[in-house]
This record gives sequence, structure tokens and C-alpha cells, in this order.
Amino acid sequence: MADAHSPLLLDARDITVRFGGLVAVDQVSASFRAGELVGIIGPNGAGKTTFFNAISGVIPPTSGQLLAGGQNLSGKGPHRYAAAGIARTFQTPRVFPDMTVHANIDFGLQFAGRQREGSWHLRDAVSILELIGLAHLAELPAGAITPSQQRLLEIGMALATRPRLLLLDEVAAGLTEAEVESMAQLIRRMRDELDLAVVWIEHAVTTLMRHVERVLVLHQGRKIADAPPSEVVRNAEVIEAYLGDEMVDDAGVSA
Amino acid sequence: MTGPNILMRDLLVLLAFTGWCLALPHYGSEFEVSMALTCLMYVALSSSWGLFCGSTRYLSLATSAFFGIGAYTSALTLDSLPWLASIALGAALAMGIAVVMGAAVLHLRGTYFAVLTFGMTELIRHAVTYFEKKVTGTVGRVLTVVPERDTIYLTVLALAVLAVLVSIVVRRSRFGLALAGIGADEQRAQTLGVNTRLVKILGFALTAGFAGAVGAAMAVRWTYIDPHTVFNPFIGFQTVLIALIGGAMTLWGPLIAAIVFSILAETLRLQAPQVYMMSLGLLLILSVLYLPGGLASLRWSTVGGWWRNRERSHG
Repeated sequence: MADAHSPLLLDARDITVRFGGLVAVDQVSASFRAGELVGIIGPNGAGKTTFFNAISGVIPPTSGQLLAGGQNLSGKGPHRYAAAGIARTFQTPRVFPDMTVHANIDFGLQFAGRQREGSWHLRDAVSILELIGLAHLAELPAGAITPSQQRLLEIGMALATRPRLLLLDEVAAGLTEAEVESMAQLIRRMRDELDLAVVWIEHAVTTLMRHVERVLVLHQGRKIADAPPSEVVRNAEVIEAYLGDEMVDDAGVSA
Repeated sequence: MTGPNILMRDLLVLLAFTGWCLALPHYGSEFEVSMALTCLMYVALSSSWGLFCGSTRYLSLATSAFFGIGAYTSALTLDSLPWLASIALGAALAMGIAVVMGAAVLHLRGTYFAVLTFGMTELIRHAVTYFEKKVTGTVGRVLTVVPERDTIYLTVLALAVLAVLVSIVVRRSRFGLALAGIGADEQRAQTLGVNTRLVKILGFALTAGFAGAVGAAMAVRWTYIDPHTVFNPFIGFQTVLIALIGGAMTLWGPLIAAIVFSILAETLRLQAPQVYMMSLGLLLILSVLYLPGGLASLRWSTVGGWWRNRERSHG
């Protein structure tokens, strides 16, 4: 479990992303510490994915600073983020369709994952495949497996970089209820057993709230809350922006 | 497809090919050797083109620029430098230009990249023409020091074999994996730790180095060169066509297609030049429509597949 003394993995300061006249992310600051499990929620178009793109180097922020392990990564390419131990998945799985499932995992191990000694579970492609439960599909081309298997593979590819911070972008979207629950179990397991901090964006707010220890709420590009789920569901601004009364009841019962 | 058995097979095929090509000048006619030389030139150009452009899907039309740079280098330095040094210099200069060109245009993809590489080739061609006219006051250059026919043949053969050998090695290396990742999904490869900019520039320079060396070696065959012959965009187009028709992603595709092309070219060009160009176009259309993986992906089962489709559509 994380506390204020855990090492700071990523410190985002006043991140702003502008697309022409549109401010997609508006001066959002957030820091992520080792071992944390953090959720990011917000209505459609709140800037969740854009924020992810900014803190993984996929799009350079218009302004703001990104510090990872003492390095200033602002404006650097995604490979520098991967090298600094920040891995991410994409909302639509972006696997290499013509390579085998095994080769897809091996890719990360050959590049960003090469520079680090990972946990025992991340020692090679086979152990990662076992962790995500795709060992039986290892020799199939990644384009031939089902979309929900591709989503697991997407996570496996990110794990292969042996990250310290894993950014998951809607990994449970479109899954059945049972699949969502096992995905949540996998996410908890990765945090607990792999010594990872996980930041998880999800639309299925109820599931997310049950599992994370801290929630960031984005609304129209701004951060309007950053607190444990039990506090967030009582935050008036959040309720107005996003959750609605129904959601408060749901989360209130389970929290 | 990268097991040790495949490696053995590839190396043996390459060895057999080399042996056959080495023997050719001893029994072949002048015409056959000249045809083989053209063929080997395109083997080297297309294989090295496929090495970068095939795996990354960055369609470069700049081959003739690098070829021309190599040709001019050997034309200008051959009377003061040894043969191999001229060729190495041609390759080095082409690589240098490729690094600059790559740094400028390799962030663009698809059509934009293709058109810009073509534009830069034309720019270089016209710049050389202008320079020759205004500064040195010549239209072309006559090469006086020319090595023997066999020296040229063996050099181009060595370059062709080296291009295939480098392809074999690169395909098994991390560098090759990075190139394949860039071709499949560049941004994803980047987020997994590939410095894509560096890899692309190195790959582009490697391709250019081969084109420069081949240009340097082939210049002497013509004994007279001018910008229009050595920067001829057709050299670049034909390289791309051969690689695409053979299968730019495959190891042997460019080689197979280069042989097919040379035979087509030499048998048809003299008797019926229009038929040659038409058959090139037809081959390209057929391979894009029915064989997107190129000639090298052709198997009996592929033909069987067409047959079954035909029967299905009739039945």
C-alpha cells in the first residue's frame, strides 16, 4: 500500500493541452506514488485520454512539466517515458496483428523492458503470458484472437516494458460483467504482486470505485477532485458534474 | 519463420545463388553477363529498399537520388582513388544525404513521405544539372579510367549478396524487430521503448548506402554519364515496383522479382518496348489485387484458393 512516503514516480505539474481553440486538458496537476492504485473518471470529453496521452509522451503538452524519477520528460518522445518506467495501454487495443501473441509480448522485453530487472512474474514472455492468462494462445497471430483477449494482450505488452507505473485506458470497456470483475482482479493483482503503481481510466465508475484507493475526477479538462472514493462521492461539484444521485447510492453502499 | 532451419535454408539458397552468379562470366555470352549485371543491380537495390521501406512501410522514391550521388562520386574520383574506395565513398555520401533527408521528412507518412522523397530526388537532379552547366561548364562526364567488365560484375554481385545477407541478419536483430514494429504501429512501438526517429534514420541511411554503392559501381559501365541517366527517376520507380511485385516484406521476393524483370526487360525491350512497359503495369496490378504479399508469397495453396473462389462464385 502506498503512503505519502512512497517514492514519487510521476509528477505532472499544470499540464495543459490545447487543440487549436479547444482546451482539452486545463492545468491539471497530479502525482503518482509507488504502489498506488488510482482511478481517473469524468464524463465523455472530460480530457481523460488526452491527459493520459500527455503523461505518456504520446502528445506533447502545450504547457506544464512532467517529472519522472528526477528527470524532466516534458516534450520528450514516448520511448523516453517507456524507458523511465511509464507504460500505457490504448483504449482500442493496438497489438501488432501479424506477429504472434508471444512476439507481441517479447517486443516490450526487447526494448524498454531490457533496461530493467522486473519482478519474477515479468521474467520472460511465457511468465507474462501466464499472468494475463493467454499462454495457450502464444503461437497465434495477435490479429486472430478475440477483442477481449487483445485487450489482455495490450496489458501484457505494456507489462513487458517492466514498468513502475502502468496507465490503463478503459481496459474494461465493452467487457461482460464477469470479465470486468476478472479484469479488476488482474489489476489488483498486478499492483500487489508486481510492485506497480496503476492508474486506471474507466467508464464503469462503480467497479472502479470499488477497487481504487484514490480517484481523480476530470470535468471539461479541469481536475475537480482528487481524493479517496468515499470522499469523492460526497463532493458536491462531482455529483453535479458527473455522478448523479443514483451513483452516490450505489457507491455509498459498497464503499 | 525465424528458426535455425530457416536460417540454414536462407544461407544455402544465397550460397547457391552466389555460386551460380560467380560461374556465369566463364560460360555466358556477353549479352547474358550484361543481363545478369542489370539483374544483380536490381537485386541489390530492391533488397536493400525492402529492408527499410518494406518492413516500415515508408515508401521511398529517392533510390535514384542515392544512385546518382554514387554514380557522380565514382565518376569524379575514379582517376584519383582506388576502385573500392570510390564505391565506399559513393555509399558514404549517399548515407550522409539520407541522414539529412531522413531527418527532414521521416516524420511524415504515406503519400506525403513518398511525394517528398520524389521531390527531393528531382531537386538533387536539377541542382547537379545546374551546377554542371554553370560552374563546371559540362553537360555530362566521360569516364576514362574504367575497370574490367569482370571487376564491375563481381562488385555488383558482392553488393547484391551483401544486401540479401544484411537483410537476413537485420531480420533476426533487435533493429529488424524495431523496423517491423514501426511498420505495424509506429506509435505503439514508441510507447514500448523504440526510439523510432533514430531507427528510421539509420534504416533509411542503410538503404541509401546500398543505392549509392550500386550507383558508383554501375556508373563505369556506361562510360558516359549525365544527370538525366543516373538520376533517372525510372531507376527509383523500377526498384519500388520490383520490391512490391516480389513482396517487399519478404526476404526473397525482391530477388525473385528482379530476375523476372530482367528477363522480361531484355527479351521484350528490344523487340517491343511498349509491351515491356505494359507488362510491368499489368504485373503490378495483378500482384496488388491478387498477391498483396508479392510473388514470394505465392504457394500452391494460393493458386488452389483462387480456383476454389472461382468455383464458388460460379456455383
